[in-house]
Amino acid sequence: MIGPALALSLLVSALATAVVALAGTASGRLVARSRFRGREIADALCHLPLVLPPTVVGYGLLLVFGRNGWIGGTLRAVTGFSIPFTWVACVLAAAVMAFPMMHRAARAAFEGIDRRHEMAAASLGASRLRSFLTVELPLARRGLTAGVTLAYARALGEFGATLILAGNIPGRTQTLALAVYESVIAGEHNTALVLSVMLSLVSVAALLLVARLSRAS
Amino acid sequence: MSRLAADLVVTPPANPAGSGFSLEASLAADPGITILFGHSGAGKTTALLALLGAMRPQTGRISLGDRVLFDSSKKIDVAVRERRVGIVFQDALLFPHLDARANVAFGARDRAGNSAADAWLERVGALGLAHRKPAELSGGERQRVAVARAQAAAAVRLRLAEPGSALDAAPDLLLLDEPFSALDPAAREHLGSLLLELQAGARVPFLHVTHDPAEALRLGGAMLVLEAGRVVAKGTPTALLAPGGLASDRLDATNWLRGTVVADGDDGGRVDLGGTVVLTGRLHRAPGKTVVLALPAEEPIIATDPARGTSARNILAGEIAAIVASADAVDVIVATPALLRVRVTRAAVSDLHLAKGLKIFLLVKATSFRVVG
Repeated sequence: MIGPALALSLLVSALATAVVALAGTASGRLVARSRFRGREIADALCHLPLVLPPTVVGYGLLLVFGRNGWIGGTLRAVTGFSIPFTWVACVLAAAVMAFPMMHRAARAAFEGIDRRHEMAAASLGASRLRSFLTVELPLARRGLTAGVTLAYARALGEFGATLILAGNIPGRTQTLALAVYESVIAGEHNTALVLSVMLSLVSVAALLLVARLSRAS
Repeated sequence: MSRLAADLVVTPPANPAGSGFSLEASLAADPGITILFGHSGAGKTTALLALLGAMRPQTGRISLGDRVLFDSSKKIDVAVRERRVGIVFQDALLFPHLDARANVAFGARDRAGNSAADAWLERVGALGLAHRKPAELSGGERQRVAVARAQAAAAVRLRLAEPGSALDAAPDLLLLDEPFSALDPAAREHLGSLLLELQAGARVPFLHVTHDPAEALRLGGAMLVLEAGRVVAKGTPTALLAPGGLASDRLDATNWLRGTVVADGDDGGRVDLGGTVVLTGRLHRAPGKTVVLALPAEEPIIATDPARGTSARNILAGEIAAIVASADAVDVIVATPALLRVRVTRAAVSDLHLAKGLKIFLLVKATSFRVVG
């Protein structure tokens, strides 16, 4: 039970973090720098998974990505693949729940850059893409790294949304956090303890990394 | 050879509507240093950002030589990166994650970029600092690297089109946003000399923003005075800042004087202020060099007879050119023939029967002149 759960948790968190790192950097940059109608609403929506109960997020995901959901139904009709109760569902749930962490960190990181750096880069002939890649990204690096780390920790600890969208199938969708739940329900306190310590160690390591990064900046 | 001509109406977007500030100014600058003079809030930075292309004017036209950078009636708005306008910000603002050479080479994307960067670093006397990060440089060193960075970008771009010396070209317009404000006197002196050298070789306008009269007198061949978003005066810094000049009444009661060093030694210096030679303290500057002196208007003493037995080293014969009364004091403008502003009380004016055209003597201590540029 412990081995597969740990492996799944590490895999799911890594994949979810990779997706969130890209999406959160893009959304954070957009909200920090672009002026468009509905910018504040977009920012609020990006924060939603942070304030809603995870079960509500999971249920929402089920409505959208479920067998008969808007996206899930189409996907099943076209490819025959159904998202719920697969490892893909675990990744999806973890990514959505971890997304606000990355979005907030990225937004703050980009807002913290003196705009005159971008003006200087442009006056030196740099395109927007080059300015983003060679000036903004390096200057936002510490904040973005902190966001990635927090997102990873959040994805690792994801429980409620995963339970609803992916279920709790040992060996298939049972992550560490779900395994702890099952152990406690089944009265296997030694297993629960081992799992909890493992989760705690990984999370503390992630938080120490964040602290070190923010101290360095 | 390029000339800047800009008619701008800019309302900064950050300003809440109705707060009233807008820039409505015609700015013209020939090759050489033009001072954009004004206090904070006058609209200097807004003007620079509009010229750079980072802030879009509501209406107006900007041309540089025969290139039109912006024309609201023809919907022309050349992107910042294609304007060939260089900028040096107040606090240098180098890219902090790049060393000095990488900063200067940023605008140089060809393989020869590094050699052009080195040529410019050498030109500004910072080649030895090539591998230092901005955080490891002093304020003056950062500003010199920032000047090199702005200059090198256009140089490389032009060189790709027509091979020649890396130092021949420069941006078509260099904007300097109070580059001296964070520097100590020695670094100011150094950067000032560098800018004067560069502009002598360049055939493009340098638009230098400042609120410091000494800096304007030292660097500027021309000057525009900006106040509340409008150009209220234009001319040479010497004329505008002279007592009675259009800009001087807006300043504190200090005489800002530009002169030429006649002699300097242990006994003090002699400076020609344009027809009036005054004795000063030690100048530490070679004869023939330009010097900017500040003389507080409260310091000179007006005498109706040439005084004897005084410690004042300067007894200047002059004629009262004007008397300007304000709420608290009276400013007597004296032609010596160089104009000097002297602040006295109303009682002094009535007791001595001071009036326009009266011939008087000014007693000024050599140490009252401060060297400021």
